[in-house]
Amino acid sequence: MQQQNADPIAAIATAQGRGGVGVVRVSGKEISAIAVAVLGKLPVPRHATYGDFLDEKGEVIDQGIALYFSAPHSYTGEDVLELQGHGGTAILQLLLQRCLGLGARLAEPGEFTRRAFLNDKIDLAQAESVADLIAATTTEAARSAVRSLQGDFSAAVNVLVDVLLRLRMLTEAMLDFPEEDIDVSDTTLRDKLLHDAQTKLQQIIATAKQGSLLREGAHIALVGRPNVGKSSLLNRLSGEEVALVSDVPGTTRDVIRQAIQIHGVPLHIMDTAGLRSSRDAVENMGMARTHQAVLKADLILLLLDADMGCSEEDWKIFSSFPADIPHLKVFNKADLIKDMPDAQREEGIYISAKTGEGIEQFRDQLLKLIGWNNQESSAFIARERHLIALNLAQTHLDHASLQVNMPELFAEELRLAQQSLNSITGRFTADDLLGEIFSRFCIGK
Amino acid sequence: MFGLLYDAPPFLFSGDMNFPDVFDVIVVGGGHAGTEAALVSARSGCKTLLMSHNIETLGQMSCNPSIGGIGKGHLVKEVDALGGAMAMATDEGGIQFRILNSSKGFAVRATRAQADRMLYKQAIRSRLENQPDLWLFQQAVDDLLVEQDKVTGVVTQLGLRFKAKTVVLTAGTFLGGLVHVGQANYQAGRAGDPPSISLAHRLRELQLPVGRLKTGTPPRIDGRTINYALLREQAGDVPVPVFSFMGNAAQHPRQMPCWITDTNERTHDIIRGGLDRSPMFTGVIEGIGPRYCPSIEDKITRFADKNSHQIFLEPEGLTTHEVYPNGISTSLPFDVQLELVRSIKGLENAHILRPGYAIEYDFFNPSGLKNSLETKAIRGLFFAGQINGTTGYEEAAAQGLLAGLNASLQVREMEAWCPRRDEAYLGVLVDDLITQGVTEPYRMFTSRAEYRLQLREDNADLRLTETGRKLGVVDDARWRAFEKKREAIVLEEQRMRSTWVNPHHLPLEDALRVLGKNIEREYSLYELLRRPNVNYAGLLTLPGAGVAVEDEKVAEQVEIQAKYQGYIERQDEEIARNSHNEVMRLPDNLDYSQVRGLSIEAKQKLNQFKPETIGQAARIAGITPAAISLLLVHLKRGFRDAKAGEISA
Repeated sequence: MQQQNADPIAAIATAQGRGGVGVVRVSGKEISAIAVAVLGKLPVPRHATYGDFLDEKGEVIDQGIALYFSAPHSYTGEDVLELQGHGGTAILQLLLQRCLGLGARLAEPGEFTRRAFLNDKIDLAQAESVADLIAATTTEAARSAVRSLQGDFSAAVNVLVDVLLRLRMLTEAMLDFPEEDIDVSDTTLRDKLLHDAQTKLQQIIATAKQGSLLREGAHIALVGRPNVGKSSLLNRLSGEEVALVSDVPGTTRDVIRQAIQIHGVPLHIMDTAGLRSSRDAVENMGMARTHQAVLKADLILLLLDADMGCSEEDWKIFSSFPADIPHLKVFNKADLIKDMPDAQREEGIYISAKTGEGIEQFRDQLLKLIGWNNQESSAFIARERHLIALNLAQTHLDHASLQVNMPELFAEELRLAQQSLNSITGRFTADDLLGEIFSRFCIGK
Repeated sequence: MFGLLYDAPPFLFSGDMNFPDVFDVIVVGGGHAGTEAALVSARSGCKTLLMSHNIETLGQMSCNPSIGGIGKGHLVKEVDALGGAMAMATDEGGIQFRILNSSKGFAVRATRAQADRMLYKQAIRSRLENQPDLWLFQQAVDDLLVEQDKVTGVVTQLGLRFKAKTVVLTAGTFLGGLVHVGQANYQAGRAGDPPSISLAHRLRELQLPVGRLKTGTPPRIDGRTINYALLREQAGDVPVPVFSFMGNAAQHPRQMPCWITDTNERTHDIIRGGLDRSPMFTGVIEGIGPRYCPSIEDKITRFADKNSHQIFLEPEGLTTHEVYPNGISTSLPFDVQLELVRSIKGLENAHILRPGYAIEYDFFNPSGLKNSLETKAIRGLFFAGQINGTTGYEEAAAQGLLAGLNASLQVREMEAWCPRRDEAYLGVLVDDLITQGVTEPYRMFTSRAEYRLQLREDNADLRLTETGRKLGVVDDARWRAFEKKREAIVLEEQRMRSTWVNPHHLPLEDALRVLGKNIEREYSLYELLRRPNVNYAGLLTLPGAGVAVEDEKVAEQVEIQAKYQGYIERQDEEIARNSHNEVMRLPDNLDYSQVRGLSIEAKQKLNQFKPETIGQAARIAGITPAAISLLLVHLKRGFRDAKAGEISA
């Protein structure tokens, strides 16, 4: 029938949460470029292909099964790529972001189904239910959007939009009404508003990230020799708050993942048992994988024996980790060295998994290092859609700050910034903007 | 004659007559919309009749004597690119030309000219009189002939019946016009002209969505009584800008300056003292006026903390002393007008030639129009100009051109031409009208155009002239000039892309002078041109850069395209992403209340606007992406049901 909308869309197709497997689905016309970029090659249609999922630098985000269906033989009737990876939300987010970075846009609620329907992939009898589904997902989305927009998040976004609006008003009034006596020679106000908007946006993003930390947790690599007491440390860390969910086999045999919670923040611990300097080739291979796991961590903990201190070998391993990942030396069995004077103690934190000594401080330190700021009484539980919108708006404001001397380009970036925020605040039209201008400035020569 | 008698209704009485000729297009109204409509239709070869109640007022500037400005100048250049008259007439009648926003980017630069009313009118009149296939006739139109939802002609005041395949109605402020000065009011089309009362009644009977708007003008002043020594002079630009693609500065008559003065606290006190006799503030005027063109009484009330407002004193022509004080439009009683004018610096002894007034008039909500400007209710009937709720000569001319063109296309049995929002301000204008409706007189601003960076005055010809040629309304002379320019741009761009500047052969002093810094690798001239702070003229002084093109307009276009390239490519992607929505059509007879899952608001809005495409639907206020999804599903269901029906039948 009509020409279809087939711009690439992507979304996490599996339910929110920490399932064993998670799926990112991409659908659209000619998405082979996305598949090639993520997988390094175009998978054979309708064959399960195991391989690496790559980020823009060619580094591995995750490993898993890729399924490729070429149009019209797919769920939606368009080209479809399914990436089945590990069920950690953070990994799926990375994978989704990767696809969005390659030109897909986040799917609207029910959009895959809608496309399936429009492309004759769903039976006529299902037509009614498709409409209901869209209506329902919309209501659901609306309800949860309202929920997340209540309170602080909404207030913060509204303040930001106000500032942005004043800035746009000033800019557009200057462009559209050069003959009115609107004083725009003074750029101080413009610069102040721009700076203000950027700062506010940064704050919102930071706070929203707290929210996503609360929802999705952080990845922590626990590095240390087998005998330093990692298991007891894990048990001690989780404490009464429990949540030793399960032992999930990791990507490789060398990495064991465990999930615990501290103060409600989920922590995914990668226990990298075998990490040490070795000349053994096989062992080195295993360690390479461990290294890969460590590279994706939000925090590296090097667990050491307080009695033995940090050996040269430990230090070597430690210093081989990238400097931009925060790391912490943890000296266990502090109960055994009670008498050691502070001066002899190394930089790091001293604890005893056995007695519980230093554990509270350790927890606080750990949360601090992964960016959890407990002072923030209410982290926004921003939705993925909102975070994408906020980040996009930030990019445009950053571009705008480089174009202050080109007012029409400056205005264009501001327009795009506001357009990105529309998905949170609702549509703001050119007419709305003109209304603001007319109520603020006396226009009309 | 037998045929005509046969067609005549039984109530034919003595004054009635059927005009013997049948026209392709009849244009009703000889303002800026009507004249462009008639000219474009005739240019396309259609037999066209222009009907005006008074031939002497064809091309009349009823309000301020200026053409263009931000957003408006863009429209004039677009009309020009399609062969329209407004820009050329302005070149012949313009007595002061300026480029607004000249210190800002190309996309927001706009041409504005003061025009000599007489010269402008003359330029338009002579074009109308000399246009082949165009006939003028002086008679007010009282009625439309409609047969089964199709227009077939018009009936004049005398009862003369003119048959036509299409009719373009451009009645301006004449429909049910009511002029207000203080508490006094009288029926008129504008001060000095009769209104179209019968036609207004007739149109109301046709169940078109009608509303009431208001606009106003300032009192006009005798220039001999102005003390110019006290005023600030505003001269035109040098070199003098030219409006039309085919125009040149030598066509311009003698140039004159404008003058600037200001209101003061005493002026404001006088106005406040007269508000109790203001038709606006006492509720006599019901129509809604434009917020961007408020009356002076409105300004001082809404912006009470401002103790002064600028007034531009614009000469009305070379052969008259009449001056238009732009900024003090008012409908206050005459005694207050006189006092307030005389409280202004330089106007202490001013004589008012004509009182200021407000006028209320009927308009038809453009939600009742297709994007070809044809009414949805009556086939072959097109509306253009103020009747659609717009304001401004330029907005009127643009719609007139589009309506006249589409009427002619219908006669020629060709598909209507409806420019998209990313193609022209014409497209933005019409799309805004039909998807947003009108609540106040609509005026163009560049901020209304999301693709502002590509809709520039400087590329109006490149955007539209080829289309105009294909549609048969661009003549050979313009086409040849256009092709020559376009080819030169392509050639120069190619040359610059393939001319390389090597860091080893570039003297440091040249690099610093032209580029601000040395280059670290080889660059093409075109790449260098894209840098901010680098310009074409400078670049062409580099050793080995070759010879600059002769035509400045060509050089300018190459430079602009290079500068905006990144932004335009990004916008092009956005346009391509959304393009499917613009071609996906919605059936005319779709009853949106039957669409499952739509909110009540969405159902009402969609039933009110009856959008022609999914793209239009998405732009209607209150229509969400989810509503669009539901529409798509509904359409698909209908399609399938129809298919199932065919099979079972």
